Amino acid sequence: MKIATTKSLSPFYSRILNLIGILAVYFILLIFFITTVVPFLTIAVAGFKTSIELVQGAFTLPKLWLFENYINAWQQAHFNWYFRNSVIVAVPVVVISMILSIMSGYAFALMKFNLNKLLFGIFLLGIMVPQEAYIIPLYYLLVDLGLNDTYFAMILPQIAMSVCFGTFWMRGFFAAMPRDLIDASRVDGCNVWQVLWKVLVPNAWVAISTMCVLFFIWTWNDFMIALVNTSSDTLRTLPLGLAFFQGRHTANVPFISAGATIVALPTIIVYLLFQRQFTRGVTSGTLHGQ
Amino acid sequence: MNVSAQTGANKIHRINITPYLFILPAFLFFFIFILLPVLNTFRYSFFDWTGFSDEVFVGIKNYQELLKDQTFLTGLLNNLKFILFFTFLPIIIALVLTALLSRRNLWGRNIFRVSFFLSYVMPMVVVGVVWRWIYNPVFGPLNTSLKSMGLASLAKPWLGDFSLAFIAVGIIATWVQYGYCLTLFMAGVQRIDESLYDAAKVDGANEWYQLLHVTIPGIRSEISVALVTTFIAALRVFDLIFVTTRGGPGSETIVTSLWLYTNAFQINRVGYAAAIAVVQTAIILLISYFLLNRSRGQEEGD
Amino acid sequence: MNIRKLLNFVLVFVFVIGVVSCTPAAPVEPAAPVEPAAPAAPAKPAPAAEVTTLKVWDNFVRPAETAIMEELIKNFEADHPNVKIVREAKSMDDLKATLALALKSDDSPDVAMINQGESDMGAFAKASLLTPMNAYAEKFGWYEKFPQSLVRLNSWSADGSKMGEGNFYGIPIQAELIGVYYRKDVFEQNGLQVPTTFAEFEAAIATLKTKGITPIIFGNLDGWPAIHTFSEIQNVMLGSREWYDNFMFTTGTVNFDIPENLKAAQTLKKWAEDGTFMANFAGVGYDDAYQLFSAGEGAMLLTGSWLSGDLAASPFIENIGFFVLPPDEKAGYKLTVGGTGFAFGISAKSKNPDLAAEYINYLYSEKTAQDMLAAGFLPVYPLENVEISDGLLADIVAGWNMLNTTDSVGYYMDWVTPTMYDTITASLQELMGGKISPEEFIAKVNDDYVKGLEAKGIK
Repeated sequence: MKIATTKSLSPFYSRILNLIGILAVYFILLIFFITTVVPFLTIAVAGFKTSIELVQGAFTLPKLWLFENYINAWQQAHFNWYFRNSVIVAVPVVVISMILSIMSGYAFALMKFNLNKLLFGIFLLGIMVPQEAYIIPLYYLLVDLGLNDTYFAMILPQIAMSVCFGTFWMRGFFAAMPRDLIDASRVDGCNVWQVLWKVLVPNAWVAISTMCVLFFIWTWNDFMIALVNTSSDTLRTLPLGLAFFQGRHTANVPFISAGATIVALPTIIVYLLFQRQFTRGVTSGTLHGQ
Repeated sequence: MNVSAQTGANKIHRINITPYLFILPAFLFFFIFILLPVLNTFRYSFFDWTGFSDEVFVGIKNYQELLKDQTFLTGLLNNLKFILFFTFLPIIIALVLTALLSRRNLWGRNIFRVSFFLSYVMPMVVVGVVWRWIYNPVFGPLNTSLKSMGLASLAKPWLGDFSLAFIAVGIIATWVQYGYCLTLFMAGVQRIDESLYDAAKVDGANEWYQLLHVTIPGIRSEISVALVTTFIAALRVFDLIFVTTRGGPGSETIVTSLWLYTNAFQINRVGYAAAIAVVQTAIILLISYFLLNRSRGQEEGD
Repeated sequence: MNIRKLLNFVLVFVFVIGVVSCTPAAPVEPAAPVEPAAPAAPAKPAPAAEVTTLKVWDNFVRPAETAIMEELIKNFEADHPNVKIVREAKSMDDLKATLALALKSDDSPDVAMINQGESDMGAFAKASLLTPMNAYAEKFGWYEKFPQSLVRLNSWSADGSKMGEGNFYGIPIQAELIGVYYRKDVFEQNGLQVPTTFAEFEAAIATLKTKGITPIIFGNLDGWPAIHTFSEIQNVMLGSREWYDNFMFTTGTVNFDIPENLKAAQTLKKWAEDGTFMANFAGVGYDDAYQLFSAGEGAMLLTGSWLSGDLAASPFIENIGFFVLPPDEKAGYKLTVGGTGFAFGISAKSKNPDLAAEYINYLYSEKTAQDMLAAGFLPVYPLENVEISDGLLADIVAGWNMLNTTDSVGYYMDWVTPTMYDTITASLQELMGGKISPEEFIAKVNDDYVKGLEAKGIK
């Protein structure tokens, strides 16, 4: 059966078409590359400019590369504290949510029990409800528990939110995995717990890394929870610090740009570090080629 | 098959609590920090409350008012219109890019992947700053380029233009979301069996065919996750509007979450805001349920 | 195994962060131009027997503002050895979102900055979250030093329903007024003088247009700048303060639908369409607009005195002046939009209200006012015989003093009902965008106002 193919053309034409094809591929990739990288670079560069220079030209380079803004953001604006706080909040959230999501995703995907659909549906509720909806009762709950204005006030709710998506995500991934692996291991006498950690997880590392990166980004960039549940400067996280540069009437854009770059860099670094996991060879399924 | 046979056998003899044990820790967090507050929100929606003074029970008055609330209805319509920019466009773009990025001999694959994800990684405050600058009618790159190409008549006040603001914001949404979809899809692609592609190549299939008949079916569960979560994102959007137009010009870009925020934090009508939240969630629930059922049906027929 | 690798990674990451963040939490280096000898460490409170802590929330987040606050706290602590001030600076949006919840909790700040208006100060008064300061005002003599019109704006009846009477809840220390920044050199080059009547102002605009210079730099992407512009035109048309007083204090004797307001709306629409404002102003943000002016575009900028500090960075600063928008020639008088920043008030849950009042007294004092002025901020506190070298600031202070002597400090009309801010920003954008007519605009705003009156039980 012949499907659409280029084999029937002469070698010369087919090579030209190939070339055009390759160029088209790179062209498309480049366009999207530019649309994301250029704005980001511009912001990073804007952090070195003065306010006036910003309005003078879209793509001009600053006359003086003012590291001032970056240094000021780090020290004067306490970005070093906020950075530390963001890490203290993000790391436990990612680690704990990862473990819990793997466990519950596994149960929903591969175990049969009466309340499967119902409970899963309830978990999904967690993704659907907007934060603004429950933030005020959450605040009062934390006050009642005596936890508000502590790191827990930011960590615990974030775990709750992450776990909803994580369950949804891992369930989907586990459900789509080839059954022979699982069956083989059951034959070998693995119990339910071992099947998960010794067989499924090593093969799901790509999905798990993806999930962890997302958890990290969402927690790192969270604004609302940190804003409402804490008030001390010593607990503040980076996004709150950024919002500071937007005063009552004006915003100090170069300062914001410098701060924004500091805030965005760790997520990029985390992504870079984790994405090596994405491309590691996995037992089933590798990149396909031409 | 073995797993179900084993648990099935267990079920006959005693109630199987294993699944519940696995789910319990996650559920506990969810229950305490999300479900309970949500139930409280539901309760508040029947009250008139400022958030810090005494509550006054008003029954369904808030909901009755909501049905006639022009701002809310306009917002809801906008949320639905945003689905195009949050869901359809990003998914299509991500699918195409996934196919392109999965080619074996691609140079710079990692560089491209990181760059595509950049837009999703940035905090919304930054996205707002970036795009306000891009759309700036006086010195932003968009209008500057248009003017230098002699197309000055196309140089509009994008975010302030009554006809164009919505689309302008929509484009930002697509820009943010496609990196997210792409990451989901790339994770799923890893799982597809190489042999499927080999079989297709042997039959002489070209790229398009491979994309449509091997890749897409193979990442169906990731697509469904992307579909549901981006749908929800479109219906829940807040940050993006807050940092770009705050609902303007006029009420061109107002969305339900923004109206919720205004009621809860600026006008001190927490009860009314709660009602908005409940209706918003109900709508999201309906749509998601519908979507999930359809994709589950496809999965089980696998 | 992969989990081990992950843990390793996490540990390394955390370790790196720990090291990096170990730069000792340096106290904010005061960038204040006021005191050259900036101390390296904050003054440690004398280890006395009992240390009382006073929690303060304010929104002075900009570096120069923070410097003033830190200085003030230092002086206060020096004068009160057993007191420690714990200060939290919060941006305006933060403050609005979190203050209500904080005031209700047991952990409430003692002193906080509160926005005037019904949704904030009024609502807090109604919920009994604030301590009335009438007794303190008597004790410290605030009434003598505080303009009467401002006292009214910061007073609410005990049940929180009427502004302007009853309990006095807050003292703002930073003043502001709306006026016109202008380029002296551009005016000179085109034979223009500072206008003394509104007609002269409009004539100047016409002249500038013929010369191809943008008369007024303006950006309304954020929605609220138009409120100030509109209100100023409104004030010219009104020519007296009676209507506005009744409007803002919701006496029930007036509403928005009057011919003067219609004329103001028509004028604004005209300006939007005939090139008085810069092109594509609807898509330009407030910050971008003033930056453009700062960088040399246009001839005038109609906005608030709060920009004086930021404009100091302009290469054209020597040539930038400020004048209050002049009244209509016949009326000879007009209000000017102005007022103050948020007010310092005392939480009802404060355990040290007397101490809190003393702190506020420090804030509202001659010394602080002088420091503020030196740093480029306009204080509410009336300073007499002050030498100001900075030309722009001198213009602004002159304007503020004029407003006080002629009793013409005006209002921000978006305070008047809880929903007015949203209504008027949207309606102004629609008016200027040609989506609604001036008559429809008046109707929309009036609708909101009347509904607000009804909600209060006033017809």
